[in-house]
Amino acid sequence: MEDLVGSWWDRLVRRAAYPGYPQAAVLLDDVAPQALLFFRAMGGDPGLAIRSAVGTAHGARRRWLARVAGIDTHVELAWRDGQALYLPERIDLYPDAALNRGLYFWLMALAAQPPAQGDWLQSNSEGTARCLATMPGLATLYQRLVAALLPLRNWPANGTGQAAEQAIRHALLQPGTATALPAGSPPPQPVPLWLHPSPPSAAAANQDDGQQPEQGHGDSRDSKARRRYRARRDNPDDRKNGMLLQFRAESIFTWDDYVRVNRHQDEDEPDDGAAAEDMDRLTVSRDGKTRASRLKFDLDLPAAAYDDTPLGDGLLLPEWDYRRERLVADHCRLQPMLPRDASPAPLPDKLQAAARRLRRQFQALSPERSRKSGEASGPDLDLDRIIRFLAEQRSGVAVAEPPLYQAWPPAGRSMACLLLADLSLSTESWLGEAGQVIHVIRDSLLLFAEALAACGDAFGLYGFSSLRRSEVRYLLLKDFGEPYDDAARGRILAIRPGYYTRMGAAIRQSTTILLQQPAQRRLLLIVSDGKPNDLDHYEGRYGVEDTRQAVLEARRAGLIPFCVTVDREAGDYLPHLFGKRGYSVVHDAHRLPQVLTSLYASLTA
Amino acid sequence: MNAPHRAAAAAPLPFYQPLADECEVFEAAWHQQLPLLIKGPTGCGKTRFVAHMAARLGLPLFTVSCHDDLSAADLVGRHLIAAGNTQWCDGPLTRAVRAGGICYLDEVVEARKDTTVVLHPLTDDRRILPIERTGEQLAAPASFMLVVSYNPGYQHVLKTLKPSTRQRFVALAFDFPPPAVELTVLREEGGADEALARRLVALAAQLRRLGGYHLDEAVSTRLLVYAAKLIASGMAARTACRVALVEPLSDEPDTLAALMAVVDTQFGA
Repeated sequence: MEDLVGSWWDRLVRRAAYPGYPQAAVLLDDVAPQALLFFRAMGGDPGLAIRSAVGTAHGARRRWLARVAGIDTHVELAWRDGQALYLPERIDLYPDAALNRGLYFWLMALAAQPPAQGDWLQSNSEGTARCLATMPGLATLYQRLVAALLPLRNWPANGTGQAAEQAIRHALLQPGTATALPAGSPPPQPVPLWLHPSPPSAAAANQDDGQQPEQGHGDSRDSKARRRYRARRDNPDDRKNGMLLQFRAESIFTWDDYVRVNRHQDEDEPDDGAAAEDMDRLTVSRDGKTRASRLKFDLDLPAAAYDDTPLGDGLLLPEWDYRRERLVADHCRLQPMLPRDASPAPLPDKLQAAARRLRRQFQALSPERSRKSGEASGPDLDLDRIIRFLAEQRSGVAVAEPPLYQAWPPAGRSMACLLLADLSLSTESWLGEAGQVIHVIRDSLLLFAEALAACGDAFGLYGFSSLRRSEVRYLLLKDFGEPYDDAARGRILAIRPGYYTRMGAAIRQSTTILLQQPAQRRLLLIVSDGKPNDLDHYEGRYGVEDTRQAVLEARRAGLIPFCVTVDREAGDYLPHLFGKRGYSVVHDAHRLPQVLTSLYASLTA
Repeated sequence: MNAPHRAAAAAPLPFYQPLADECEVFEAAWHQQLPLLIKGPTGCGKTRFVAHMAARLGLPLFTVSCHDDLSAADLVGRHLIAAGNTQWCDGPLTRAVRAGGICYLDEVVEARKDTTVVLHPLTDDRRILPIERTGEQLAAPASFMLVVSYNPGYQHVLKTLKPSTRQRFVALAFDFPPPAVELTVLREEGGADEALARRLVALAAQLRRLGGYHLDEAVSTRLLVYAAKLIASGMAARTACRVALVEPLSDEPDTLAALMAVVDTQFGA
């Protein structure tokens, strides 16, 4: 009974004391699709991601009711660091949803400004002034935001607090003229229109002492859990090495005491998120070993029963050694394979609508021309018909003028496309709501195939992964010769990520296959998610150079190689591999299916 | 060399705001009888520049907008049938050679491959136009000039200018004008007042940051002029920006909404 009444009271007082207007709340998820574009247009760093901020204890005096209810201790403010732009997960400050939405855009515009000098008050005021000076439309929004904000702010009781509040109000109303906060004042009330006074990880950013950890490919990029916790970066504390720690009854550790322990496993537990939610602070420290380096163990081959079905003994292919500047003949063995457990399957329901749209689009692709006579107009005269027509006219047979020209109307277009998909283990990583990279690639392959089947171009689909030079796994998904049917769809649906990315060998084999196609133009489309790499020396420069050679060979053979990647850092190495115009980076990976097909249309139309 | 002053007084020059020394380059190329290649994004003033220079030099201008059906016959000419006889009809390129004017091929990469065959003898020191169908061979007069343009921004693996063609031209690279120049263009061409022109130029700077990331190509000066004209004619600024700047750039609802948010930072209610 006490529990019940207690919870009622708790709910009641929380609702009564809650300072915001939940009915007018705007969520970050609502504005997120527009946020990146807007932030970039405002001049923000295009490399930043958008994440949700986490509440910070502001320490300012609260309203009486809020104190009774024990809420309003934390506030979500926006800030920006080297990695991302952090925005509140929801804004319900104003009773008007339009204003709450406007506040999001205002914060993005403010955060896009280069950092200004001075303390929190001065730098925000300075940034605000810069925004208002260049953007008159934004200025009217700002004035409405400020006008609606001032009545919501408390007037502090004591003198220094009032002086600080006065300074803040002055800075809000007349941006650009702010003075420093009066010394010794209590923490002022947070200003939701401004950026975070002490962004959680700003201090840690300059602790980088050059030992940049190698970016793990298994990077968990789950945007569902992209909530940012109050992170405190610590230097590893060797005194508290978990291996040597003895349990002492008098020191009871709480969740957020930082102890250096070696965890038994690297997998994330399902309730890790909940535990992080409970903690006041997460400690992040730099350890010498990164997960990526530990992951560099050789993976044992699966038992034959579980592995993909090999076709034949494999083919020996050369590889480029950039140090010796020559092709090493028969250096790797490429094993054509069929995916295991592939049974014929129709197109998944969720892709049906997109597939129908694509089929319509691609049926309209204009094909190649060939000369045709008997046309009503055209660049050339059809002499045979003219002679016959003139003769008939002379002989008195009245004939209406027949079509007398030659033209090149549309005929079958002569195009072959081989799509080579990277199926290495890195495609197992997550892309937030879009699912794993491999799922995105799978959907892309399916839709791409639907589109190409509709426009009638010859095409083949292959996937690859590798395990050292002795086993480059070349997965046959749809051969050029066979029709695109449920059997091929089933094989695409059965693809799984595994192993590494020995791209050169796969490209060479694809070149060979594509050259056998009797088409005028042959496009080699590579879908990838990262740099070429393998367990042996095939990483870094070696892998890149070998791939580059393979691409050059393909180009020399008259093919058109083109790479589509979801790797955001691809700009660093892809120009070297495919040339400046030979690749395309898909920043928003879950749009890969659409991008891939529209790219094909624009590349070949 | 009698052309430059012939028609100078007749019609007012089409407005063109020079960015650098491109007018001098054009004149020098014309004097030396060299063909010119202009590359630059869409709507940055390539076509206007050529029109301006043709008027300035007093030369007739023959503009051909190339498309993927444009063949050599479309440029050179063809036989037509009239009254039981065939009759030869000059194409724009032949007319330009005969008249000693400027032939401007807009978006030349779009044209079919066989057009390069007729361009090559015209663009080296021979300066001749063989007309295969009539057996005629025209020698270009000194005042004839060939100008081609293309947009290197389109990513298209099958349509690029072959090096053997490119290397026959003197090339000028165009880009969107810097803010101060664009301001003048908007005032002169779009009829915008100083304040409006400033806002539009600021908006263009914001939208151009998105080129390559979210938009295939950045907003062009031409679209800005459209917006300025609409606003100057009395349309609400926000509406004008929506129809002239936002909708032409994208079809995706999220992108459109975000672009409108960017517009609102300049023309918000």
